[in-house]
Amino acid sequence: MLLLQELLIATALSLARMFSAYIISLLLAISVGSWMARSRAVESLLLPVLDVLQSIPILGFFPAALLLLARLLPGGLGLELAAVFLIVTSLVWNMIFGVYTSLKALDPSVYDMAEVYRLGPAARFFFIYVPACRESIIANSLVSWAGGWFFLTSAEVLSLGEEEYRLRGIGSLILDSFSREDLAGFYSGVAVLLAAILATYLLLWNPASVTVLRLPLPGVPAVFEVVKSAVGYAWGGLAQVLTSLEVKLGVVFRLPRPIKAALLLLAAAAVAYSARGLSLEPLREAAPVLSSFPLELAKSLPRVGLVLLLSLGLSVVIAYFAHLSRGVSMAVSMAGEVLASIPAVVWWPLLSNLALSHPLGPSIVMLIVYLQGAFWYVYFNLIVYGLASVRKDLDELATVYRVRGLPYLRYVFVPSLLPSLATGLLSAWGGSWNASIVAEYVDMGGRTFDMQGVGSLISKAAAQGNVAALLATSLALSLFIVLVNKTLWVRLFRFIERRYGGE
Amino acid sequence: MPKVLTISNLRKTFIEDKRVLEVLAGISLEVGEEFISILGPSGCGKTTLLRIIAGLEKADSGEVVFHTPDKRVGFVFQSPTLLPWLTVLENVALPLRASGVRRDEAYEKARKYLSLVGLRAFEDFYPRELSGGMKQRVNIARALAVEPTLLLMDEPFSQLDPLTAESLRSEVLDLWLYGVTTVRAVIMVTHNVDEAILMSDRIVVLSPRPAKVNGIIEVNLPRPRDRRSPEFQKLEDRIYELISA
Ligand SMILES: Nc1ncnc2c1ncn2[C@@H]1O[C@H](COP(=O)(O)OP(=O)(O)OP(=O)(O)O)[C@@H](O)[C@H]1O
Ligand SMILES: [Mg+2]
Repeated sequence: MLLLQELLIATALSLARMFSAYIISLLLAISVGSWMARSRAVESLLLPVLDVLQSIPILGFFPAALLLLARLLPGGLGLELAAVFLIVTSLVWNMIFGVYTSLKALDPSVYDMAEVYRLGPAARFFFIYVPACRESIIANSLVSWAGGWFFLTSAEVLSLGEEEYRLRGIGSLILDSFSREDLAGFYSGVAVLLAAILATYLLLWNPASVTVLRLPLPGVPAVFEVVKSAVGYAWGGLAQVLTSLEVKLGVVFRLPRPIKAALLLLAAAAVAYSARGLSLEPLREAAPVLSSFPLELAKSLPRVGLVLLLSLGLSVVIAYFAHLSRGVSMAVSMAGEVLASIPAVVWWPLLSNLALSHPLGPSIVMLIVYLQGAFWYVYFNLIVYGLASVRKDLDELATVYRVRGLPYLRYVFVPSLLPSLATGLLSAWGGSWNASIVAEYVDMGGRTFDMQGVGSLISKAAAQGNVAALLATSLALSLFIVLVNKTLWVRLFRFIERRYGGE
Repeated sequence: MPKVLTISNLRKTFIEDKRVLEVLAGISLEVGEEFISILGPSGCGKTTLLRIIAGLEKADSGEVVFHTPDKRVGFVFQSPTLLPWLTVLENVALPLRASGVRRDEAYEKARKYLSLVGLRAFEDFYPRELSGGMKQRVNIARALAVEPTLLLMDEPFSQLDPLTAESLRSEVLDLWLYGVTTVRAVIMVTHNVDEAILMSDRIVVLSPRPAKVNGIIEVNLPRPRDRRSPEFQKLEDRIYELISA
């Protein structure tokens, strides 16, 4: 009984965290994305920054960021905010990009129309910007929601050397039960978590995707309909109030420059204030850790390569069958949504029997966790964007001329998917480095698996509370990733765009 | 005739990566309560002129002065530019709602102008469910619903099939001639000499870029005008001469 009550409370708290993080991400995505699409200056400033933020291993920066936030806002509230903030960082980037690209793709004459008929910022926001990116918001939410759960546990249980923060939630409950060797608690925790994830997809995201994107996904639309009409009602009212307010006051909902500058200054001061406790002394400790960085990177790189190859092959094959059969598509997508959502840290305890039973066990579990952080990006990109771009006319052409099997895959299917495949692989590349941090090293209730590699290096630095080394290695890894993005990926993208993008 | 608008000596030069493109080389025009067409070779700066009058673009020098107390402008875009996520009614009502008109009032007004263009029955349809001609009608209803003094139209019939274009032309002309709208002056950009003679009181012929006013022709033919009449033909010849001059 006590367990059940605890389970329910923990799940409710975790869900509340997820939804707050989601709503914050949504607001951030809409405001930042539309700001980027409207202003050249903001665009050129933020595009590269977001590009970097989206692909660096956020997990490496989690502990330091958490420490900073916890100091800034003492007490439980600070911790709670920190956790929500960390979940936001795993949700928000692709959502911002989605809003930005769909507004960029808007017919420029729509902006002329808005100008001629004097639509103010509020009217544009409610009647143009938000509806224009509805589809991309839903598509990205589908992926982001899984990403959020994947990192939920990392936000609920954080240890940095001696300091350990623990928030009541389903993620921390699962890990606690495992380290207490309370198997009943552990398995029922995992079961409740799965049920919660499944419920959010079946009741909310899947019906939303069916309505907005016409994706074939299983779902129960009743709850979504209620939420939709409630949100629609509130939204319509808000639009009404704000647009008429805008006209009446003649105000522009824009902050004047001095206030903007003051806000920026305030933020900088806050960061400086909270960083004051971090002395530079431990920098010296970073040096030896950093010197082993190249070697460890060389150990992780082939793993990441293997994971990307596996993700590529598996997702193309599965997408092919999903393309052929609606039933397969529904089943795999549903399985994907749940599997992709299972928190990274839960995989090791969940598969601990496998890890312990065979000499190759730990390697296999590591690979599974790695794949979890990478595969789904590729897969969902294919399902959401790729399959929609397998053009109907090409498909009909193939049917008419009986192009089937391998030739169909080679000449019609894969080339049509390439643009979304490339986008998915880029996200998977960033994602697998991030996953390396939880895949290569785990310490659960005294049993430690250390598979070596950069991820392990970062995790160990966190476990020892060596903040300087943690930051230094995370930065070095980020630098490496960005470098590869700017050299290798950019070229690949250009090639695919030229060769296979549109007509 | 009461004056509606004075356009004096508009100049505009576009500069893009060091390429300098002079588009308007001093355009002046008095606009009364009349229907004016602007004719000119492709790329000479007609759209730019219209955009400057509408306030979408700033001129380098010169000015546009309204003589009426109400300076509202309706703009019929070349393509309909309807928002796909709004119904026909919502699309027409949008500019009104954005200017602070209450929702029901905005809808009522939008319905009135939808009836004028014959689309009252389609108010709950979405743009994708309409034909090209119907979309352009919505575009026109939206421009009229803001109850403008000046109506600007940029090649409004060029993207329609000939039959649809012809019937829409006479509908617009009827709306204008019967004075059922608030519009007191119309400026229409077109490529089509025939259409210009058929519809307008005066025709402004622009030179190739940079645009200057090559000539202004009064069309004093009685309405409804007959394309096959000798006077119509003579006017047509004169205008072609002026364009190629
Ligand atoms: N924003 C802009 N920046 C740079 N050049 C522009 C811009 N707008 C128009 N131009 C250039 O100015 C010239 C005139 O353009 P405009 O659209 O006014 O011509 P137009 O007479 O309407 O042509 P058309 O008959 O083809 O519609 C063109 O050469 C065009 O390329
Ligand atoms: Mg033009």
